[in-house]
Amino acid sequence: MAWRKQIVDWLDLRLGIRDLLEQNLTKYLLPRNINIWYTLGAVLITLFVLQFVTGILLLIYYVPDPAEAFLSVTRIMNEVPFGWLIRYLHVVGSNVIVIALLLHMLSVLFMKSYYRPRELTWLSGFLLFNLSLGLCLTGYLLPWSQLSFWATTVATDAAGAIPLIGDEVVRFLRGGPMVGDVTLGRFFALHVMGMPLLLGLLVGLHLFCVRRAGVSRPPFGPDYEPWEPQGSFRHQEHPGGIPFFPHYTTKDTAVIFFFLAALLGVVFFAPWLFLPPGALEPADPFVTPAHIKPEWYFLWAYQTLKIFPSKMLGLGVQAALMTFLALLPFIDRGPERRPARRPLFVACYVLGVLLIAGISVWGHYS
Amino acid sequence: MENDRIPPERRRFFLIIMLSGIGAVLAAAASWPVWQYLAPRKGVGEKEKVTIPRDQVPLGGTHFFTFRGHPAVVLQEKAGVFIALTAVCTHLGCIIKWLPEKGEFECPCHAGSFSPTGTVLGGPPPKPLESYPVSVQDDSIVIG
Repeated sequence: MAWRKQIVDWLDLRLGIRDLLEQNLTKYLLPRNINIWYTLGAVLITLFVLQFVTGILLLIYYVPDPAEAFLSVTRIMNEVPFGWLIRYLHVVGSNVIVIALLLHMLSVLFMKSYYRPRELTWLSGFLLFNLSLGLCLTGYLLPWSQLSFWATTVATDAAGAIPLIGDEVVRFLRGGPMVGDVTLGRFFALHVMGMPLLLGLLVGLHLFCVRRAGVSRPPFGPDYEPWEPQGSFRHQEHPGGIPFFPHYTTKDTAVIFFFLAALLGVVFFAPWLFLPPGALEPADPFVTPAHIKPEWYFLWAYQTLKIFPSKMLGLGVQAALMTFLALLPFIDRGPERRPARRPLFVACYVLGVLLIAGISVWGHYS
Repeated sequence: MENDRIPPERRRFFLIIMLSGIGAVLAAAASWPVWQYLAPRKGVGEKEKVTIPRDQVPLGGTHFFTFRGHPAVVLQEKAGVFIALTAVCTHLGCIIKWLPEKGEFECPCHAGSFSPTGTVLGGPPPKPLESYPVSVQDDSIVIG
């Protein structure tokens, strides 16, 4: 195909495109024993792009006004052609993102991929996780349903447990004493502009860190040897590894399609899974529905606040856990990454996951 | 092996064709709902009727309203005689205004003028204003 060669020649002369593609695709080698868990980053990028596209489409018909928001969402669902599909993709997509984020972080934790010199990769990823939860929270309010109104009331109210400044923080988050039109305005601005912008920048930083330091080698197999970084910067090479393109991108694509299939499966066959009945009623600031619960990924935090007698203590425990996770690469500094040789860590890991899952289930049924 | 006789270029070409085909089908399948979602709605409000209280349209005066998504105007030219027209000038889409002293509509953009029934009296408008059926029911005027 002469025309393709001409285009590549033209670009190559000006941008060195062949060298760039070789360096980042065909000659970019990954460890031979790289596993399927490493594909979750590509899955997440795909899902974020899907959220971005469906979010822009929803913006065309959504009206960020308390008197109109619920009606506009109802119109999208019932009147606009394929509006239901766009909205369900956005709603279910956000939940699938949280699942993929959790799996990504759990696999990184298990393989200790956060180990030196990848502390910044972990930190930027941890911030991305929190920012994604912030996007979920701010987006949750926008349909202005009973569920969104009261879930936001409960979520913002939790900040009131902060000593001394708690009440002011709650007022600031809501833009007033109660959730109202000002809250909708600021959550809307954060959801569609502020947070996505920050997310894009952080994704860029995260990918830069991953590419610059090099992909970590999975700590499995008989020939695995702990890799100690030197005093100065060195990109971790994997001589004799598999090329990123086409070998690993094929695996990436397969897992991406698996997630998309799962997403579409829920969209077509069980979309109500993430939309309980409270989501179908317009917000009523004078009637709190019975048994109001936050989204499944906030249930552990919700139940923690119920378990501890003092709200401040509950919030403090949550803050301590999140701070510990954020700073883990600076605390867990040993060079051993093989899970089989880290029984204490694996025990804590399994118990921690079971504890959070257990508290979440408890929160769901409490 | 039989496959070894096929040169890599041909296998690669086959793979590219197959993947491009699958990609094109998937892209088309994804584009159709997006296109439908974005496309202007057909037939919405086409049979809509608008009811206006009769006392809102004085004798020799007008009342502007939205009809089937467009600005429209109803005029009581003589006692009990109502005329409903589009308020969008046929020249460049500006909204006409009623000049009671002249008894005609005028477009503020390029001074096109229309009679009370919408025919062009002067200026650049290429065609008359579209008129709508009007009926009077008790104290209401029904347009459409």
